[in-house]
Amino acid sequence: MQKRVVFRSRLLPYLLVAPQIAVTVVFFFWPSYQALESSFFLEDAFGFSRQWVGLLNYTELFDDPGYLRSFRTTLIFGLSVAFLAMSLALALAVAANRVVRAATSYRTLLIWPYAVAPALAGVIWYFLMNPSLGIVAYWLQNAGVDWNHYVNGDQALLLVIVAAAWKQISYNFLFFLAGLQSIPRSLIEAAAIDRATPFQRFWTITFPLLTPTTFFLLVVNLVYAFFDTFALIHATTEGGPVDATSILVFRVYSTGFVGQDYGSSAAQSVILMALVIAMTIVQFRYVERKVVY
Amino acid sequence: MAELSITGLGKTYPGGVQAVEGVTAEIADGEFIVLVGPSGCGKSTILRMIAGLETITTGDLLIGDRRVNNLEPGDRDIAMVFQNYALYPHMTVRKNMEYGLKNEGLPRSEIDARIAEATRTLRLEDYLDRKPRQLSGGQRQRVAMGRAIVRDPKVFLFDEPLSNLDAKLRTQLRAELKALHKRLGATFVYVTHDQVEAMSLADRIIIMNAGRVEQIGLPMDLYLRPATRFVAEFIGSPAMNFVEGTVDPDRRSLAVNGSHSLRFAEPLPAEPGHKIALGIRPEHLTEVPAGALSMELEVDFIEQLGADTVVHGKLAGANSPLAVRLHGVQAGAAGSVVTLGCEMDNLHLFDLGTGQRLN
Ligand SMILES: Nc1ncnc2c1ncn2[C@@H]1O[C@H](COP(=O)(O)OP(=O)(O)O)[C@@H](O)[C@H]1O
Ligand SMILES: [Mg+2]
Repeated sequence: MQKRVVFRSRLLPYLLVAPQIAVTVVFFFWPSYQALESSFFLEDAFGFSRQWVGLLNYTELFDDPGYLRSFRTTLIFGLSVAFLAMSLALALAVAANRVVRAATSYRTLLIWPYAVAPALAGVIWYFLMNPSLGIVAYWLQNAGVDWNHYVNGDQALLLVIVAAAWKQISYNFLFFLAGLQSIPRSLIEAAAIDRATPFQRFWTITFPLLTPTTFFLLVVNLVYAFFDTFALIHATTEGGPVDATSILVFRVYSTGFVGQDYGSSAAQSVILMALVIAMTIVQFRYVERKVVY
Repeated sequence: MAELSITGLGKTYPGGVQAVEGVTAEIADGEFIVLVGPSGCGKSTILRMIAGLETITTGDLLIGDRRVNNLEPGDRDIAMVFQNYALYPHMTVRKNMEYGLKNEGLPRSEIDARIAEATRTLRLEDYLDRKPRQLSGGQRQRVAMGRAIVRDPKVFLFDEPLSNLDAKLRTQLRAELKALHKRLGATFVYVTHDQVEAMSLADRIIIMNAGRVEQIGLPMDLYLRPATRFVAEFIGSPAMNFVEGTVDPDRRSLAVNGSHSLRFAEPLPAEPGHKIALGIRPEHLTEVPAGALSMELEVDFIEQLGADTVVHGKLAGANSPLAVRLHGVQAGAAGSVVTLGCEMDNLHLFDLGTGQRLN
């Protein structure tokens, strides 16, 4: 049974939510509106004058092969990050679920990366992989891999994928572990009696029963990779070399602040907003319907 | 064949809980064995050791003439029905039943034949394409049994399979289980904490207490000649009455509470001065004050069950609680005194210290 607290004053509840509303309006709705507005104007670099251009900023974007390439890069980046972060997290969660049903120390250790700020995560990997300083780059070179993400675009993309995935593993791990622990042990035992090998038990029982968790995490990871990795890329590759790691969010920044094309930058952020909204809707609809199996 | 031989079976869980100790039992092929006892006495642990879901700490376990201590659950030729059914929630009823057969690598035709047969037996035809969550508790339980039957195992294991169902369904499924056992002719090992279930289903009962076997025997043996006070108290409802006292030098009376004593027509089969618990089942006390013993009951309250009347009260002058089960509808008022008698054959004597049977 849920207990409801009823306020005596009608004003108090509004007062209590006012700060949150104010923050949302000032830091979210207002800039969003401004972005939407600017996306229909052409503005000079110093902001002295602007001119209504309708959808020109948008049509130009979709004619720009660089922007379309960014779309592709974002997709590759997002899917790779989600896949890598989720599969590693699942493997760790399965191991943890098996070894220590209750022990929390192992779990705590695995949560640490999540507490690291994205920019710092980027810097850590930047140092590890730095062609002249980095220990991992040194190992790779010893192993015969010519590692230089300053020159090689694929390597640069790989670097940001690994760094972004690493940071997300702990989050995924927690959800997978919780998901695994909510699967009744008797199901796995019944499967063992039904002669399923541990491998079969995982793929025919455990994994299908984790579907709700997996789907939820897929959306969360994609949202993270698409929109939350700006600081990480900024700290490691700055979108380069050339355009190789310039995902959509990074492009908003480079077009606006480096290229000083505010109209186009605003249009890009509106497109990104639409993307976030779409993904959020997918997730909410899914959460409403809940169980899928 | 599928006899089950259990020798000195013991289980100590990591952390030191000794759940089962020195359990020895021979279970014949095709027998319906019920493991019964209060919650936490180690029944499930034994069943799970037979299934291979828990490692065996000490002792030997043979199915047929194969020692299976170290075999995987899938290799023991057993099937198990869990208390919470443990149906695979993402699979249809048909898929649930197929799962084990596919893992065994049976040909499609064989799988279909077995499922058709089990489906008919359990009247599940209409539910084959449903998911477990679309079924009622009783239907789920049937599917769980179906999943066991199609495997065609030597030994069926049941862990309190009916305890999540309502009373009426429980009675119905009990009858179905009994019929199923007859049809299949397989060995059944069935765990329950419900003595009525045990009495009605079992060929033989293993009654357990705190990780040890108290008695193994036919249901009627356990009822008529319980080996210990624990068994006497556990089997039968309402539970057996106990009057504690010391046997007098002439062995014809029992000193209860010092002041009051019960007199018997024949000498008691116990040494003079022995402290004993005298057990009498409520249904063995009669209002005819004849027989070996006569005693007075001070009535506290009366339970009318329709076919029977249970009168609860105290042994007059001694304060021991006492219940009597009388046939038919009987009147009686709180505070009144009823004189009761009992035949010598229906007296159970237990050592007060060890709880072992004396007669
Ligand atoms: N996995 C386990 N770890 C530690 N102790 C356990 C475990 N399972 C059961 N026990 C303990 O073993 C005893 C017997 O349990 P169980 O066999 O489940 O009893 P029953 O089925 O008769 O109710 C209980 O004291 C219980 O707490
Ligand atoms: Mg149990």
